[in-house]
Amino acid sequence: MGLLISQLAHYNQAQKKQNKTKNGTPKVPSSQLSTLNSFSHSLLKFTARRTPTSSYQMETTQTTEGGGGGATGIAAQMEVEAFRRLFPLPFYKRHLLESVRPDARALDSARDTTISLGPVASADGSALVKIGETVRLSCWVKKAMLAAIKLEVMTPSKERPDEGSIVVEFYMPPICSPMVRPGRPAEVAPVISKQLLDVIRSSGMVNLKELCLISGKASWIAYLDIYCLNADGSLFDAALLSAVAAFTHLQIPLVSVTEEGRVFTVSSEQEEKTKFELVNKEKRKLSLSSIPFPLTCVIHEDYILVDPTAEEETVMETSITLVLDTLGNLVSIYKPGGVGLASTEIMKECITRTKRRMQELKTILEESVSVMEVD
Amino acid sequence: MEYVNPLTGLRIDGRRPTEMRHLKAQIGVVSKADGSALFEMGNTRVIAAVYGPREVQNRGQQMNNNEALVRCEYSMANFSTGDRARKPKGDRRSTEISLVIRQTMEACILTKLMPRSQIDIFVQVLQADGGTRSACINAATLALADAGIPMRDIVTSCSAGYLCTMPLLDLNYAEDSAGGPDVTVGILAKMDKVTLLQMDAKLPLDTFETVMQLAIEGCKAIAQYIREIMLQNTKQLECRRGS
Repeated sequence: MGLLISQLAHYNQAQKKQNKTKNGTPKVPSSQLSTLNSFSHSLLKFTARRTPTSSYQMETTQTTEGGGGGATGIAAQMEVEAFRRLFPLPFYKRHLLESVRPDARALDSARDTTISLGPVASADGSALVKIGETVRLSCWVKKAMLAAIKLEVMTPSKERPDEGSIVVEFYMPPICSPMVRPGRPAEVAPVISKQLLDVIRSSGMVNLKELCLISGKASWIAYLDIYCLNADGSLFDAALLSAVAAFTHLQIPLVSVTEEGRVFTVSSEQEEKTKFELVNKEKRKLSLSSIPFPLTCVIHEDYILVDPTAEEETVMETSITLVLDTLGNLVSIYKPGGVGLASTEIMKECITRTKRRMQELKTILEESVSVMEVD
Repeated sequence: MEYVNPLTGLRIDGRRPTEMRHLKAQIGVVSKADGSALFEMGNTRVIAAVYGPREVQNRGQQMNNNEALVRCEYSMANFSTGDRARKPKGDRRSTEISLVIRQTMEACILTKLMPRSQIDIFVQVLQADGGTRSACINAATLALADAGIPMRDIVTSCSAGYLCTMPLLDLNYAEDSAGGPDVTVGILAKMDKVTLLQMDAKLPLDTFETVMQLAIEGCKAIAQYIREIMLQNTKQLECRRGS
């Protein structure tokens, strides 16, 4: 938030003194709209309407001295919003010339990410990933994904008797976006499901042999369900991150066999009371080798925007998704067509940005794991 | 099975018979929606998102030009129950609950103020532990309030049952699947009117009265809590506006 204030002050020199509120603490308005409007407003320089006393601060739309100025402030803010809707590309162009985006991010900075492990108690492994601003008092989350893994026992296939399997399903329920309606499911959901499955398989993060119980007779099938709770661009990034986090949280439950050979899970209360013969002695976590981390960038005429919002994705149209793993290998490149063409330099740029983002995400994931282990 | 321990008088999760589960609510969890809320009743966790009023998307469904069209969809996440559900949407239970929620909310939304528009209420169950219907209605009320849609009153809902000769408030999944009666009540809090009343299994009339009264008390307690949450939210908004 301090960054936001300083960027605003940079563009709004005259208003610098008025930037502090009565308490001196920075505040964020109730709607994202007024933040964007006041910031973009100063950037687009609607100087004709600007008066010295009008408040183009982030904080308030009304000040005691700028009563009249406040009214033109609101009318001028409507201009910005209309301009943004009618001419999205010039709106973005003007921002890009100053190397900044409407939400005051730099071109190559991704949004704040938080990962919390284990929100779903009934699942064997789960994670909630939130990407976006977090304000002190409540969460104005831009993107949220909930991933949960449930393990079930199945008989393995004959070709691979000592391997389990993973099934990935990505859901976009209607709550996540106004574009998704019942009866008109999001087109992008099965595409992301497939992408996720491919990346998880090809990265070799999960050794399928670890999912085996009794060779040839029983193995685990891990159903990974990812629900998008709030959709705002680069869905694949958040989805893969939540999948990876859920796998780090996954604990394989204790299991035992009945006389007929049926395998069933033993919950932790039962194991003390009865004497089942346990197939695996203790609950264990999967040992994950190289973990893949994604980054989606959007290209527009030599500008590369990292971690785009939904609006940026629709306006700029060309997106590239890169997945790197912790060992530094490139796991997946996904550029599904698009108007913009990516030269080798642009690809190299994207790869450097992905590397940086990978380090950030790795630290965030490790922190959340250690937080959970402390509990 | 003893749902109420005869010695201590406590239920299997340690509550007293007329004690409700721990409530927790949060407004504004889905930023893309016009209004949204997360509502928790014990282990039951539900997210409601409201989109509207917006343009009617399916002309065929628009019956009445003078009123807003209210649509509702209820879906459960795959991992919400103990076993992974095969078909989270479109099965009969989900359709029935969607209808129930829609009609309950229609009763309190002032649809005449928004003709030719559509209000969508989407409810997603993240964790189910009994009382999902009630949690959905409570979450939908908060989400509608967050979206600024004009309503007659706040609708709250709670369930009550009768096991081991005791009326129990706010059943969880174990108590619900015990086979005893389950009364779900939805009321307009201040007007003290019942909009939703559902009951399964057999119950003698006088016991029914006690159980329904208990459920109504529960609804009033939830209404109290919802008012506090809305007041808190309004204070935060006011504070951010700087006034």
